[in-house]
Amino acid sequence: MFNVKISLFARTRDLEHNIDSLHDKIIEMTMVFKEAVDIYLQEQRSEKYRQTSKKIKIIEHDSDTLRREIESKLYEQNLIPDLRGNILELVENLDRVINLFDEVAHKFYIERPKIPEEYHSKLKELVNQVADCAENMAIASRAFFRDLVTLRDYSKKVYLLEHQSDKTAAKLRNEVFDSDLDLAHKMQINNFIEEVADIADLAEDCIDALLIFAIKREI
Amino acid sequence: MLEYLFFLSSGLFLGWSLGANDASNIFGTAVGTKMLRFTTAAIIASIFLVLGAVLSGQNTAETLNTLGEVNTLAAAFTVSLSSALAVLMMLKSGISVSISQAIVGGIIGWNVYNHKPTDTETLTNICATWIFCPIISGVIAVGLYICVKKLLHHSKVHILWQDMAVRVGMILTTALGGFALGANNMANVVGVFIDSNVLSPLKLGNVYTLSSTQVLFLLGAIAACVGIFTYSQKAIKTVGKNVLSFSPTVAWIVILSQSLVLILFSSENLENFLISMNLPPLPAVPVSSTQAVIGAIVGIGLVKGGKGIKWSLILRVVSGWVATPVIAFILSFISLFFMENVFKQTIFIP
Repeated sequence: MFNVKISLFARTRDLEHNIDSLHDKIIEMTMVFKEAVDIYLQEQRSEKYRQTSKKIKIIEHDSDTLRREIESKLYEQNLIPDLRGNILELVENLDRVINLFDEVAHKFYIERPKIPEEYHSKLKELVNQVADCAENMAIASRAFFRDLVTLRDYSKKVYLLEHQSDKTAAKLRNEVFDSDLDLAHKMQINNFIEEVADIADLAEDCIDALLIFAIKREI
Repeated sequence: MLEYLFFLSSGLFLGWSLGANDASNIFGTAVGTKMLRFTTAAIIASIFLVLGAVLSGQNTAETLNTLGEVNTLAAAFTVSLSSALAVLMMLKSGISVSISQAIVGGIIGWNVYNHKPTDTETLTNICATWIFCPIISGVIAVGLYICVKKLLHHSKVHILWQDMAVRVGMILTTALGGFALGANNMANVVGVFIDSNVLSPLKLGNVYTLSSTQVLFLLGAIAACVGIFTYSQKAIKTVGKNVLSFSPTVAWIVILSQSLVLILFSSENLENFLISMNLPPLPAVPVSSTQAVIGAIVGIGLVKGGKGIKWSLILRVVSGWVATPVIAFILSFISLFFMENVFKQTIFIP
């Protein structure tokens, strides 16, 4: 049977699909992560949390596979020679964001931190901001491949959300260290807040690099 | 016949120089931006260069003959060799030059040596094209650049499909550029040998017969193909990468503009059409593909704000344009003296 995939068109379409799928994975990850933290705050390490955590692992694994496929296809097919290095860097940055979501979710599962109820709403707010930030980064990154104006619009949103998440994280840490919890407990919660906020920082770094690549992309 | 082939060797050497030097203008940017492999580009360009030279290479030869009808074989050999040496000297110093300018310098050298007046109208025409060619190329490149930029902005095509479109465009433009180079510039290589041509017509089966002039142009084209494969990579380094760092899309616009300019200056039909419309005609004159490329690059560079252009390198290339005809003129004049007085060859039949 004649394998249609040998045609250049089919291979290009495949790679385009892979790149789109990687972006879909980030957006999916942000939704599942928000859900996971909600479940954890309500039920701690319950069966439901374990299932959600498993979903996160699968997304992380799938995105690793996609990253590897994109990287090898770009080189094997000698595509976009002038921007190939930039696209590889971008894909690796996207994968790093996904990995960080997975690490934080896994840490909740392993360490089982006890987060007092008075901090729940602030922590949820932080998680929402961080997830939105990563989601907007994914949209901006997708736009890099098609529409540079949209990229700029969403980049602005990422910067704004990262700034907001920094402020929320700082407030939350202040509240934690002002409380009567023992130091070890304070340090553990602080550590979680930092790690969640780091996701937004990483998304911001991705956008910084992306905007530089966009300058190179302009003809 | 053997004598003719011996003397034609300098023309073939000039053909080799054309391939080595001007091929970089056709596909240098495509290879420099890694969009096409050198071998692929060289094969496509060679095939179409041969077709261009054989099918419509003779249009521009008339202009050179009007400038100076080099009417002996020994003189044709000398003029051609001087021009080739001038090009090679410039090429060795890493400057991409114009064969057209070298041959014009060589022919004027022959005119001056023989106290023959140079047709100033033709010379003015040719010199004017040296100025208009880069300007027209620059204008075409700027127009194409603005259109492509607008199109990309509105179409929102995925970067991968843009990449593919540019590749296909580059392959087509390399073919067009090869044809244009053969059609416009092959007269530089073998034009001076037309008057003394003794080659027989060549039958290609029962389908087509090449006239003796076409056979002469075919030989020149084959020599150019050898030049493409053996030496053009060095010149590509100058034009393809150094002058302005540009994206593959811009690289494609540059070679397309260059090819269109060469076609404009090779077409007798277009010339007749412009005259019939009472517009100033574009004469069928061998123009420099190097100048066309530089014109296109500078045009786009200026639209982008002029920051990316390496002016020092442009200046070096432009100084080469002045130096090439002068060197070819001097070499031609001196060599003709030796040819006549040392080798006792006839270099002019009044």
